[in-house]
Amino acid sequence: MGSMFRSEEVALVQLFLPTSAAYTCVSQLGELGLVEFRDLNASVSAFQRRFVGDVRRCEELEKTFTFLQEEVWRAGLALHPPEGRLLAPPPRDLLRIQEETDRLARELRDVRGNQQSLRAQLHQLQLHSAVLGRGHRLPLAATPTDGLLERTPLLQPPGGPHQDLRVNFVAGAVEPAKAAALERLLWRACRGFLIASFRETEQPLEDPVTGEPATWMTFLISYWGEQIGQKIRKITDCFHCHVFPFVEQEDGRLGTLQQLQQQSQELQEVLGETERFLSQVLGRVQRLLPPWRVQIHKMKAVYLVLNQCSVSATHKCLIAEGWCAASDLPALQQVLQDSSSEAGVSAVVHRIPCRDMPPTLIRTNRFTASFQGIVDAYGVGRYQEVNPAPYTIITFPFLFAVMFGDVGHGLLMFLFALAMVLAENRPAVKTAQNEIWRTFFGGRYLLLLMGLFSVYTGFIYNECFSRATTIFPSGWSVAAMATQSGWSDAFLAEHPLLTLDPAVSGVFLGPYPFGIDPVWSLAVNHLSFLNSFKMKMSVILGVTHMTFGVVLGVFNHVHFGQWHRLLLETLPELTFLLGLFGYLVFLVVYKWLFIAAAAPAPSILIHFINMFLFSRSPTNPLLFPGQEVVQSALVVVALAAVPVLLLGTPLFLRWQHRRRSPRPAGRQLDEDKSGILDSSDASVAGWGSDEEKAGCPGDQEEAEFVLSEVLMHQAIHTIEFCLGCISNTASYLRLWALSLAHAQLSEVLWAMVMREGLRMGRELGVAAVVLVPIFAAFAVLTVAILLVMEGLSAFLHALRLHWVEFQNKFYLGSGYKLSPFTFAEEED
Amino acid sequence: MLEGAEFYFNVDHGYLEGLVRGCKASLLTQQDYINLVQCETLEDVKIHLQTTDYGNFLANQTNPLTVSKIDTEMRKKLCREFEYFRNHSLEPLSTFFTYMTCSYMIDNVILLMNGALQKKSVKEILVKCHPLGRFTEMEAVNIAETPSDLFNAVLVETALAPFFQDCMSENTLDELNIELLRNKLYKSYLEAFYKFCKNHGDVTAEIMCPILEFEADRRAFIITLNSFGTELSKDDRETLYPTCGKLYPEGLRLLAQAEDFEQMRRVADHYGVYKPLFEAVGDGSGGKTLEDVFYEREVQMNVLAFNRQFHYGVFYAYTKLKEQEMRNIVWIAECISQRHRTKINSYIPIV
Repeated sequence: MGSMFRSEEVALVQLFLPTSAAYTCVSQLGELGLVEFRDLNASVSAFQRRFVGDVRRCEELEKTFTFLQEEVWRAGLALHPPEGRLLAPPPRDLLRIQEETDRLARELRDVRGNQQSLRAQLHQLQLHSAVLGRGHRLPLAATPTDGLLERTPLLQPPGGPHQDLRVNFVAGAVEPAKAAALERLLWRACRGFLIASFRETEQPLEDPVTGEPATWMTFLISYWGEQIGQKIRKITDCFHCHVFPFVEQEDGRLGTLQQLQQQSQELQEVLGETERFLSQVLGRVQRLLPPWRVQIHKMKAVYLVLNQCSVSATHKCLIAEGWCAASDLPALQQVLQDSSSEAGVSAVVHRIPCRDMPPTLIRTNRFTASFQGIVDAYGVGRYQEVNPAPYTIITFPFLFAVMFGDVGHGLLMFLFALAMVLAENRPAVKTAQNEIWRTFFGGRYLLLLMGLFSVYTGFIYNECFSRATTIFPSGWSVAAMATQSGWSDAFLAEHPLLTLDPAVSGVFLGPYPFGIDPVWSLAVNHLSFLNSFKMKMSVILGVTHMTFGVVLGVFNHVHFGQWHRLLLETLPELTFLLGLFGYLVFLVVYKWLFIAAAAPAPSILIHFINMFLFSRSPTNPLLFPGQEVVQSALVVVALAAVPVLLLGTPLFLRWQHRRRSPRPAGRQLDEDKSGILDSSDASVAGWGSDEEKAGCPGDQEEAEFVLSEVLMHQAIHTIEFCLGCISNTASYLRLWALSLAHAQLSEVLWAMVMREGLRMGRELGVAAVVLVPIFAAFAVLTVAILLVMEGLSAFLHALRLHWVEFQNKFYLGSGYKLSPFTFAEEED
Repeated sequence: MLEGAEFYFNVDHGYLEGLVRGCKASLLTQQDYINLVQCETLEDVKIHLQTTDYGNFLANQTNPLTVSKIDTEMRKKLCREFEYFRNHSLEPLSTFFTYMTCSYMIDNVILLMNGALQKKSVKEILVKCHPLGRFTEMEAVNIAETPSDLFNAVLVETALAPFFQDCMSENTLDELNIELLRNKLYKSYLEAFYKFCKNHGDVTAEIMCPILEFEADRRAFIITLNSFGTELSKDDRETLYPTCGKLYPEGLRLLAQAEDFEQMRRVADHYGVYKPLFEAVGDGSGGKTLEDVFYEREVQMNVLAFNRQFHYGVFYAYTKLKEQEMRNIVWIAECISQRHRTKINSYIPIV
């Protein structure tokens, strides 16, 4: 948990990897995920790097893998992810894997090719028989054509020269989509010197390539003349038709048909054999491919990292640079030693000083991960900046619960989250792919706390599904009021509303021990009482939250050694915030504690407005003696803090700059020396400096000091803070609004659904029957509207309060995450 | 068409325009060209192209890689994009797309007829056909013996049919006639396209008309240049010039009389647009060829087309730019594979 407070120390390290052991070292580092490598060859293009050949070979292999995978998928088989941990294979294994893969791919291609050609043959045969089969039914189907053909020779003898004129046939099959175009083209090109008949095949045939069933159009063209025949053949060629010899005699056709059927039977047997062999090969692929894929993927990743290393002058080792957490350095050293022990020369790691801002590393566990996630979604913290996440663990669920206060709803949410937490180790829950479910599951601990806190605030508000509970006896006694005031029957009949007077002895026995007195749920001024309470509560919570934010800034200033900001920024900020809004909180609390219920109540609002106007209203009694003097003093002090905030830091920096500038060379030397001697100190001091904030990161000393830039920046900050104090305080009123909305909505749901149902049946049987659907409706609406919808909106507002109102007081969030080189996520 | 395309353009064509602008942004940059030129082998070219928007388009090619494989795959990629645009387009943009494909169709038809004349097999030539100009009846082109045959039997149903009206003749199709046919077809195609854009009005006309005018004039110049020393008569030559360019009518008349490059240059001198182009042409060995100069000018116009919104010209411009890019890559790849590095830098930069 110590590391949650601010990000861990991250060091720039240089790794000297002996050439022979570099591969094993990097692959070991990939398994552990310790180092984020920096690209030392950014100026070198991808194909001029050292290991480009190996990367290319891996890619080559992956190409083959893709081919194998597609084949497996095409056969309708699935590839299962490999079990267990697979290390990146040693480089010499690449050859073996490559060979085996190539052999498998070749076999598969051969078998697939055989299968394809067999299928194509079969398809051809089937089409042929479809064409012929259709043809021999032609005499029945198309008698007129047939009749004409038979009659032609009878008519011809008179015209002797035409004796040799005979009808020729072209028969074939074409894809149905092209049939119409083919028919038209035939007609146009041959000017009608032909008769063509088209018909669809009865059974769909399997397409040899895709394997999908498709119907074909068979056609039979009869024509006269050789030239036309040539044209027809060219046209059928261009439409990719299958053309088959067509025997004119019917018995000849029958014979061919039988022959075809026999052939196709034989072919089918061969095809079956081929497919069996194919499935064997595919089975082998299925078994071998997944582990190979993972291995080669890792190998490629390792080579890509090696490509980022530079080569030492002697070519004996590779030099890599990267970010590594300081606490991981011993582990890193150990890994490097272990994995380079074979090579004889040990790999070495050492820290080097650097001026760049290191990446942010905050280790989380499954509990803190979701809270850190909330903070990171706003912005990853700068290196070693105070991390708001640990406080968010409590404040976030609490602010949520303030808006969601209801014992019943909170309990439901808590139980739901508890179920997820208890089931978190079940594989089915873990691997669920549903995105909405994963969102909920990821935030299960957040939900757990949110539910728990809602139960707490529900008790404070005394609401359980909008009903009040009487755990303790109420502090108000109606009986006492009735006996003391002597209400007559007539008085009671005339006045539907009666007032309980706390001044009457015995009516108000003292405050309710915990939360809101249940008697309020019966009162008609319930809402105005709660409004006043919740509004004040929101302001108190808001001012406290923001003050806490400002105080957290102190830790940043102290850590980065910017003591002047402590005095010139944090102090005026606190003065401004507490002098104005802290005083408001004081007034609220004072009024609660010391103004008796019976006395005329002073209005805090009027007092607060008068405070700024330096005036007083005679009708509004003072809360305490000397209030006006205190108020005036506070306003003056708070306003005096503004110029300090505005000008303090820029003027201080200018003074500091002036003091330094006469001897820049000497300082430069100092700086360098200290950088080498104690890199961590020098680097830490660097990142918080204001010059960087003013827009010149990196070379902080050399950067010329531009007063206007710093002034501008500080002016923006000042305006943002002062206006922010007002608007952010107002913004916290959303706590009041949302909790009110939630209470009212659940009240309405109870009154309109449940109460109606309970009122409906007086007899036991009717009530039981009616209440089933009524309760179902109540339950569904409660979950859908009150839990999910209201929960989401309360979540959203709590998120906003944290991101905008809280974090802008101290959190910059301009860093970037440490993303170490690791195989973990590449595996899936 | 109503004025003010911006009010309704996006309803029908907004998606595609967004898409094509995205595609244009993925054209290779100057830095990419610099890297490509440094490549040692075609494999390097492939690796470099992988880092660009071409992605893994060569991943499934078997070794060894050749220039023609790269070219084919690039064409396929362009064709896929174009088909996507076309399938998602509405009228009148789809007609515009049809017009765009027509030029490729003309080229393919002519290519096939030439092939038939030289008794080459259809399959062999089909590979060379541009995929954008493919159509079903294409392969039946070789059954025709005269242009009217060609029209009546094969092309009457295609988008090319309207352009045939001027070139119906009973001449047999020999090499010269085919070339004449191509130019006549192209002339009427350009004129029809020009008319379509003109009638469409709006920004489309403002962008497309200058581009097509330039295209027409370029053809006129090229026809003139190619006809020097052939048996083509001057009158015949004049009938081939597309009449929708800036040169029409006086320039074309002068051009028809030109007898050598010098005279052609003198014609161009009368036109402010073409004078600098002819001045940029180097003489003999050193400088750029006329073709290159024209290409550069075309690229320039097409790039400028992207400065206006709500018009169809971007689709035309994108296709042309992509084609130029493909020509560049092929040029570089050829230079690399033939180890002829001295001329590798004379690609046409797209800026």
